Amino acid sequence: MAGVAGGNDFQWCFSQVKGAIDEDVAEADIISTVEFNYSGELLATGDKGGRVVIFQHEQESKNRPHLRGEYNVYSTFQSHEPEFDYLKSLEIEEKINKIRWLPQQNAAHFLLSTNDKTIKLWKISERDKRAEGYNLKDEDGRVRDPFRITSLRVPVLMPMDLMVEASPRRIFANAHTYHINSISVNSDHETYLSADDLRINLWHLEITDRSFNIVDIKPANMEELTEVITAAECHPHQCNVFVYSSSKGTIRLCDMREAALCDRHSKFFEEPEDPSSRSFFSEIISSISDVKFSHSGRYMMTRDYLSVKVWDLNMENRPVETYQVHEYLRSKLCSLYENDCIFDKFECCWNGSDSAIMTGSYNNFFRMFDRNTRRDITLEASRESSKPRATLKPRKVSTGGKRKKDEISVDSLDFNKKILHTAWHPKDNVIAVAATNNLYIFQDKIN
Amino acid sequence: MILKGQKRKLPQEDLELADSGGPVWESQRQFVFSVSLNKYQRSQELPEPSLRRSVLIANTLRQMSLEGCREPPADMEVPEPPPPAGLLHRDVEEDEDWESTDSDVSLSAAISSILTVLDSTIDGSFPTAPRSPLRSLENLSGSSEGGVAWVKPGVRGHSVSYQQQAEPKARDGGPGDVTVEDLFQDIDTCLLERDMGVLGLGGGHPTGEDLLRYLPPFSNLKCLPSFSSFSPLPAEAFELDNLMEILVES
Repeated sequence: MAGVAGGNDFQWCFSQVKGAIDEDVAEADIISTVEFNYSGELLATGDKGGRVVIFQHEQESKNRPHLRGEYNVYSTFQSHEPEFDYLKSLEIEEKINKIRWLPQQNAAHFLLSTNDKTIKLWKISERDKRAEGYNLKDEDGRVRDPFRITSLRVPVLMPMDLMVEASPRRIFANAHTYHINSISVNSDHETYLSADDLRINLWHLEITDRSFNIVDIKPANMEELTEVITAAECHPHQCNVFVYSSSKGTIRLCDMREAALCDRHSKFFEEPEDPSSRSFFSEIISSISDVKFSHSGRYMMTRDYLSVKVWDLNMENRPVETYQVHEYLRSKLCSLYENDCIFDKFECCWNGSDSAIMTGSYNNFFRMFDRNTRRDITLEASRESSKPRATLKPRKVSTGGKRKKDEISVDSLDFNKKILHTAWHPKDNVIAVAATNNLYIFQDKIN
Repeated sequence: MILKGQKRKLPQEDLELADSGGPVWESQRQFVFSVSLNKYQRSQELPEPSLRRSVLIANTLRQMSLEGCREPPADMEVPEPPPPAGLLHRDVEEDEDWESTDSDVSLSAAISSILTVLDSTIDGSFPTAPRSPLRSLENLSGSSEGGVAWVKPGVRGHSVSYQQQAEPKARDGGPGDVTVEDLFQDIDTCLLERDMGVLGLGGGHPTGEDLLRYLPPFSNLKCLPSFSSFSPLPAEAFELDNLMEILVES
């Protein structure tokens, strides 16, 4: 994989944008999760309205081989509906918090989607043939009396227009008292974990009426609660290992072989706080919003409010790499606390070779860091720069008094436009960036 | 939230953090504290507040109250009510005149002055600082560092006025003869009609110490965080007005 910064080797270009252009964004259309499948052929998005939209990568055109294929809508379905908890008199939002694909094992595709309370396993399959020639019904459609059927006719499969069907195969419900923030498929392809604010459960994909609680940090006295679980993920290769992050900026790695209940961690990752940068908001900005293992399984990455950190699993006392996402916001924390932006949960992702990482920011900016060259770049997902194959221009935020041309000052940033969800193709340099209700797809320019 | 096209103005608070202990730091602390309290109250009004957000705000509140109590006392002689500007500011829209009939303001001031006098009466050997409303909560024993002390179900008290109980005990003098919790023990706990859910009160009634823990510095009804609202506990509320009468009578 080439480097990500601007230069001779690599340039990010606009490819596509999905979603409405209207200025008035419907709440239900706000994208809440983005995920490529294992091959990168499919790209799934979930939104606040409980819908899942799957895009499929079309093969490159033979006539125009210099163009990568595009992602077109493959399937759309309503995954979750709003529900009402009668016991607590609370409405359960249909917002899709996470989508995770299962490795493909046959012609069909499977994914897990979850809202705050319920996880569902969806099967997405294609149907391009239809059985015809039944003699079980009359021509008007009425079912014939069996006694009137005197001959056996085998139906014939006839081609039909491709139809993509999504059907719920499993519903995993009633296992979470608190809001589910993470799901992660295990490397054994048989189990997966789901995490809410205080507990993590382990499921078998075939069994819906039972789950095993493996982490429980709920104190006996809820008034003593000072820390919640913010994210969890299974190790990509070791099916007995998983990690979970907390609102206090810590990560715990647990080994399910040690005990049935993994309240005692195997490893504890925490970076000592820098006393010189301590503020009233130190704890809030240290809260980890996302944790992702590298594809290699050797590293993991965490995202807190201002930075992204790469940890070596063999070293617990500090990260091996720290990347500042938007350090210019540090002096604005008070305002960001007032307007609640400080509680925004940004995600992060690795590229296929683990040589680069990406995360979002405000003003529809997103940042990429090349771990090898240590170069970084800020790009913007905007309609203005959405010309086909147009190269994205690097953006810069001016922090000093003097603002250069093409720079934007911190005070001019639009904090309503936040890029919380991004995804990187597992093999190619194609990225998907969710900007409120729009999905941008960028790719490198093929030379 | 910042509206599209609208430039944000640099608020005064966006300053580099002043040295701890200085007046600028103190005003920042008070401002953030009041904002945090307001946030927490508003989140509790939601049908289902975000637990992560509530925990983070609660921890911030706790941290600031701890840091505030570490500050040297401003005036050790006269227990004056706390200054109105920083401590009592919650929203720009709210009435900042602390002498108004706003029950929150006068209540917190009254509690502060009463408790300060009480401290000096109990043990004159210790220099009594003009305790801010926060300090009353901070000095409670059993306030765990990891959690927030909450009113717990306790024994129902007798319907005896504060004044009757307090004075005879105060005359005895000497430390330990009278404790704050004793004074509140006999407050008519039938004043507690309903729990707001935030407090996590059980079916019983609070003890005096627990009651004192509950008394919030700024808020009208709800104050420090409790996450028992996520537990299916019955709700009882606290009639501050009635308590106010009893306290003021002393």
